[in-house]
Amino acid sequence: MAHNFKTDLTVDWCPGCGDFGIVTSITQALTELNLDPRGVVAVSGIGCSGKTPHYINIAGAHTLHGRSIPYATGVKLSNPKLKVIVTGGDGDMLSIGAGHFVAEGRRNSGLTIMVYDNEVYGLTKGQAAPTMSLGEQTKSLTRANIFGKLNPIALALSAGYSMVARGFSFDMKQLKEIIKTAINHEGSSVIDILQPCPTYNNINTMEWYKQRVYKLEDDKSWNPIVTPEDDAKTSGEKFASAMTKALEWGDRIPTGIFYQNKAIPPFTKRLAKNVPNYLEVTPAEQRVSTSDGYTVVDPKETFADKILM
Amino acid sequence: MKTVDISITIGGPQGGGIDTSSNMISRAFAYSGYNVFGVREYHSNIKGRHSYTHLRVKKERPRSLKYPLDFLVALDPDTIFEHIEDVGKGTRIIYDNSIEKSDLSQARMIMKDTSDRIRHELEHSGDLMTVAGAISLMKKKGGIAIPIPFSDIVQKAISGGVPSRYYNTLGAALTLAISGVDVKFLEESIRFVFSSKEKVVEENVSVVKAAYDYCQENKFRTDNLEEIKRTPRFLLTGNDGAAIGKIMGGLRFQTYYPITPASDESTIIEEHEDLKWIASENSKLAKSGIAVVQTEDEISAIAMASGAAITGARSSTATSGPGFSLMAEAISFAGIDEIPIVITLYQRGGPSTGLPTRNGQGDLLFALNTGHGEFPRMVISSGDVEECIYDSMNALNYAQRYQLPVIHLIDKNLANTSDFIPEIDSKKVKVPQVARIVHSPEWRRYSLDTKTGISEFGVFGKDIFWMTGDEHDELGHVTEDSELRDKMMVKRFHKLEVADSEIPISDKAVLYGPENADVTFVTWGSQKGPILDVMEILGKEGKKCNLLYLKMFQPFPSEFVSGILSKAKMVIDVESNMLGQAANVIKLNTGIDITRRILKYNGRHMTEDEILDAARTIMGTSQKKIEVVLKHGA
Repeated sequence: MAHNFKTDLTVDWCPGCGDFGIVTSITQALTELNLDPRGVVAVSGIGCSGKTPHYINIAGAHTLHGRSIPYATGVKLSNPKLKVIVTGGDGDMLSIGAGHFVAEGRRNSGLTIMVYDNEVYGLTKGQAAPTMSLGEQTKSLTRANIFGKLNPIALALSAGYSMVARGFSFDMKQLKEIIKTAINHEGSSVIDILQPCPTYNNINTMEWYKQRVYKLEDDKSWNPIVTPEDDAKTSGEKFASAMTKALEWGDRIPTGIFYQNKAIPPFTKRLAKNVPNYLEVTPAEQRVSTSDGYTVVDPKETFADKILM
Repeated sequence: MKTVDISITIGGPQGGGIDTSSNMISRAFAYSGYNVFGVREYHSNIKGRHSYTHLRVKKERPRSLKYPLDFLVALDPDTIFEHIEDVGKGTRIIYDNSIEKSDLSQARMIMKDTSDRIRHELEHSGDLMTVAGAISLMKKKGGIAIPIPFSDIVQKAISGGVPSRYYNTLGAALTLAISGVDVKFLEESIRFVFSSKEKVVEENVSVVKAAYDYCQENKFRTDNLEEIKRTPRFLLTGNDGAAIGKIMGGLRFQTYYPITPASDESTIIEEHEDLKWIASENSKLAKSGIAVVQTEDEISAIAMASGAAITGARSSTATSGPGFSLMAEAISFAGIDEIPIVITLYQRGGPSTGLPTRNGQGDLLFALNTGHGEFPRMVISSGDVEECIYDSMNALNYAQRYQLPVIHLIDKNLANTSDFIPEIDSKKVKVPQVARIVHSPEWRRYSLDTKTGISEFGVFGKDIFWMTGDEHDELGHVTEDSELRDKMMVKRFHKLEVADSEIPISDKAVLYGPENADVTFVTWGSQKGPILDVMEILGKEGKKCNLLYLKMFQPFPSEFVSGILSKAKMVIDVESNMLGQAANVIKLNTGIDITRRILKYNGRHMTEDEILDAARTIMGTSQKKIEVVLKHGA
């Protein structure tokens, strides 16, 4: 029997929450990719989004606010054979965890990062999140938002993510396909997921998004993929197009894959150049002792450089 | 036959080759068969400010440093000004005679307050505000001035180039020549230090020969130093020791964010990450290595290492106070989620940035209480380079066995101590393999069905289970159930009791010296060596002393400590902090209040002589509550 990627836990998100569509898209993607459930790990931070791993029937770590990326990176780099998906809210990823979000772009460890983007901090009763527009006042704010809006797509592109996409939680068909592409992508990917909060965001509602979203892939000439064969000019143009699309917001909001660069080596391959057999016998799998229970290291040989003869 | 016991300080501007110079001196003495113990002192600065190495040479292994010096070797005027206090009867002051006229006011790299203090001292003694004035003051203290024409000697040896570039070699050569070390040993050191650069070796050897000739001509040389048969030894710092212990202890994942004095450890691990180390019994693994990752900050460092730990890789991170503060929340997470993780905490002078390159032991109470909420952790401490090796192995073992964060305290003084270690024993500590199995469906990661509180470990990649910072059920899912909460708290803390019962007392606290003594010293960390030396001196004077040396603070060996202290006649606590933090821990755990204390918090290393003086002061008074604060150190 095929593995059931959903756990039987009671899901305690609000009725109508966009998060349901995300979890369903993830579990469908995992099912369709026919992945070994023991070969995938889900890592999250804190907030409504942070509960995600408990609802997926794979190993999961519901970690600290803002720190899901480094925990996930540790899992990935110590066992590069695992697929690691990371879920977090806009506040989790782009406010408290923004430093890690940017650093992971430089590393490109091979994480699939999903940003649940609803412009508010739901679990703490609706404060403004970094993706909320300047001047916007959702119902639980006592004053209009006086912060500028952070652009997750543009930030991810600038940080160096090798795949950047946007999905909409009420278009599970498209979101599922994006997640599948991202999981199969060797480097790290960011998926900004428009995910209305029915309780605290009365402005950016499902209806509001439905009237505005359009799919990049509907334009048959749209080609966001950079391959190792592309010259610098071509890859530069694709990056520039992605950045141009990233700036589009308002009456029309693009979804789909903005950019996918297959030419950037993942961190695991860079590390493999320094650490022999790193990918074959990962740090997680190595022996640390011989059959007699003592260290595998011979200090006289390993630390010969420290010996004064 | 005179006992060899030589104290040397060589100082100069940071970036001026002081490290190279002290390395040459240490090696040359070691090649002659002697043991050398040293500590590096430096400013938080890349180039220009005063830095020095304090060394001690003995036939048997030195355990401490002492003042006054036998040699003060000054490569610049600042060194003369900064080390006036270190000079006593018979100290040879080797310096460049062309700097005699240098004025204190021109020594701009001396910190203003230090400069003011030196000025005041020179005024007080009626000496000039110049190097010559400082030398004159040192002579009054019994110092012997040895002015040397640095530039002339170098220029005689090599044509062209900038003479000052060779002053560090010259300083080493003059010290060794005057000490009677055979020139061949210094040549050997130079060949090692500049191994691949033949021209550099030649030039430096010429400088050395010219220096030896000069000392010969001027009859500076003492008798030849007796040569002892040399044996192969490891020359290691505390940072080296911790790195080696981790590598031997099965470390497979190390993270760090750059910080003094912790990052050297990670760099050393990285240097050895490509290893031909794996036993031949499994040729497939004949070559492998450790992943060392420099992270974006310390929060990431501990989070990443924790992530690695749950896949089964033995993982650790290394940091100092400021970075450790940032790790607090993730340590709490490792506590509730029972993650085996080692945090090596290199203590430096705090609070905040404090004295970033200086010694301190101000983080003990913080290490015991880092992170919100109540959770079990272990806190251990090392006091010498060898302990750094085996404690690091043990730390990884404890983390794995008891599934909790282990904080390993090393002070800056120890991190930057260099010592000769005769041998590294790979059979001293066992290294258990992490079980990587797929458990049966009945298995629960946080099973309450355990007699020890230790549930059977499982790893991501093999088992499906959950982790959460929330209180959780046996599977790892969030719970707020009141009864389950109690059970989980009790289960987690039970592990500490088990750890306490399983770990031998010798890894927690050691009593050095006789059981019955007139004076009982109590300490932890790098004061161990100097106190043992002080005890030897006092012992020769007929004072029976012992030392209660603490290695484990959580779980705390209350019974053992209380057993010793309750019988002790006079107890003196010695620590490199202001509050006597270990004494506070003892009071908390045993109710025993130690009211005689020797403390030092100026960031400099404790030396044999000043502990001895302070101990004598305390022993010579009827005052029961007394605190002696040590002040020495440039």
